[in-house]
Amino acid sequence: MRRLRHYARLLAVQMRTSLTLAVQYRFDFFLEGALALFWLAITLIPLLVVYSRRESVAGWSFPEALVVVGWFSVLKSVLDGGVTPSLNFVVEGVRKGTLDFVLLKPADAQFLVSTARFEPWRILDFLGSIAVLVYAFHRLGHAPRAGDLMVGLALFGVALILLYSLWILVVSVSFRVVKVDNLSYLFISIFDAGRWPIDVFKGALRLIFTVVFPLALMTTYPAQALLGKLTSAHALLAGTGGLAFAAIARFVWKRALRAYTSASS
Amino acid sequence: MIRARKLCKTYRVHRRPPGLLEALRSVVRRRYEEVRALCDVSFDIAPGERVGFLGPNGAGKTTALKILSGLLYPTSGSVTVGDFVPQDRRTEFLHMITLVMGQKQQLLWDLPPAETFAMNRALFDLPRDEADATQKELVDLLEIGPLIGKPTRQLSLGERMKCELVAALLHRPRVLFLDEPTIGLDVSMQARVRDFIRRYNESTGATVLLTSHYMEDVAALCPRVIVIDKGHLVYDGDLRTLARRIRPEKRITMHFSSLPAPGELDRLGNCVARSELQATLAVPAAQVTEAVRAALGRLPISDISVEDPPLEEIMQEFLGGQPANGGVRSA
Ligand SMILES: Nc1ncnc2c1ncn2[C@@H]1O[C@H](COP(=O)(O)OP(=O)(O)OP(=O)(O)O)[C@@H](O)[C@H]1O
Ligand SMILES: [Mg+2]
Repeated sequence: MRRLRHYARLLAVQMRTSLTLAVQYRFDFFLEGALALFWLAITLIPLLVVYSRRESVAGWSFPEALVVVGWFSVLKSVLDGGVTPSLNFVVEGVRKGTLDFVLLKPADAQFLVSTARFEPWRILDFLGSIAVLVYAFHRLGHAPRAGDLMVGLALFGVALILLYSLWILVVSVSFRVVKVDNLSYLFISIFDAGRWPIDVFKGALRLIFTVVFPLALMTTYPAQALLGKLTSAHALLAGTGGLAFAAIARFVWKRALRAYTSASS
Repeated sequence: MIRARKLCKTYRVHRRPPGLLEALRSVVRRRYEEVRALCDVSFDIAPGERVGFLGPNGAGKTTALKILSGLLYPTSGSVTVGDFVPQDRRTEFLHMITLVMGQKQQLLWDLPPAETFAMNRALFDLPRDEADATQKELVDLLEIGPLIGKPTRQLSLGERMKCELVAALLHRPRVLFLDEPTIGLDVSMQARVRDFIRRYNESTGATVLLTSHYMEDVAALCPRVIVIDKGHLVYDGDLRTLARRIRPEKRITMHFSSLPAPGELDRLGNCVARSELQATLAVPAAQVTEAVRAALGRLPISDISVEDPPLEEIMQEFLGGQPANGGVRSA
């Protein structure tokens, strides 16, 4: 119990620090916010282009595909606002050796690096994405059923766990190869494919996006759940997949810590 | 308090010759090279001791401190600090130690040091009033009251170092690992930091392990030194004993009111520095009194002083004449 309180307090302090850092550069704050919304709009363009010529793609109508995009954007705002900043923090810490100070603190290192930085203005992005989702259901002409919404929210949790686990894996790799700028770029590029329903991909790519880099579990399945199209078998698969990834990530992280050599001097 | 047995650390580094072609080749086939940073280093340090780590660049001092603080795993050998194995990174252990690195900083660059202090208070789960009292005490001792509200990036090197010390000591650690804590500081600031470390040690009984390239620091702070060269422990004991053994001589520096007669100086001892109206002689310790008396009698002296040879020079001689894997010499 005391431990839980300790970690709650730590989270609060870390968030406060990020917030203080963010408002220090108020101009950036607004600029980044505006940019985030701009990028959200850009995200919609490929979809509009594709659907301007046909009614459905791989069995997905325009509003249905829009649900996937909306869902993808929600996740992306979480990624950009809560995950990528911390990733950059760790990568820099490994390169410069300042991660030493994190490892010297009496708290779980994984927790500390995961909560190191947030970008609070991404909340705009998040809200914009919710708006896209709402618009998509408006076009569909009906709201998601309560049960579907519940499953969708549960899968949102699974998606976050997956995203986070993948990220921990990337960080673990950074302990060995040190320079992971390219790796995080690759990560973000692959993640970008999540804006398309999984049925768009064929063959090997589809398998990879379901099992190795489980984009399907992160965006398509939750969107299907909201649309009331997800079978319970798939929902279960997503849940187990999330837990499996989390366990693997934790294991790899622990191993990676042993390999950390800390930059000289 | 600290116990190291046959400590070895080998870094595996990816070697990449310069040039684009070589760089491309190394993507396909990586070549590794082993760097032996520490080799069979053993020592014991009692609670409350102040010990200096000495050695040339790349000797393995920082590596040793990182192993002692649990950041690195030794390749072989064992370490305990208190009752703990550092690499387990147990909470009690981390509460007990601190590591200050002159080359790296934990202070948040864009925020005032006070923010980092608040962060550490939460990290170490310190009761608020206790942490406030410690912080006030440290801040007063180092005289940095007005600074802790200014963004770190606006502080000078010395000011930042003092704030680093506060951040590192807020949880009142009982073992201090200090890696070049005075690097880049001016002489008076060095003396202040030194003083502070000594006072902390004396008032709390904490164990201090320090590395520095400034011999003054080590001479003033550490009754005991451990000398490491190329990863090997080559001396463990009293600094002055080492100095006397390497250079069992004193330096007599004389200022003249007029040019001394030629030849007179050489009869007194070995002349190590000479300018028109000044000379420094190296004289065996036992013959100093005699030499001074003779000098005063025969030379036009306006000022005279007797000193130990500079420690820098002694270390240079000690390490310069050292075989790569010489045996341990102890006091
Ligand atoms: N992270 C690392 N990866 C690979 N090699 C390293 C690493 N850190 C140190 N080394 C090597 O290990 C050896 C010892 O380095 P270390 O930093 O311990 O020396 P030091 O005694 O602290 O030197 P200095 O006085 O210059 O700080 C050096 O040869 C160095 O190149
Ligand atoms: Mg060093």
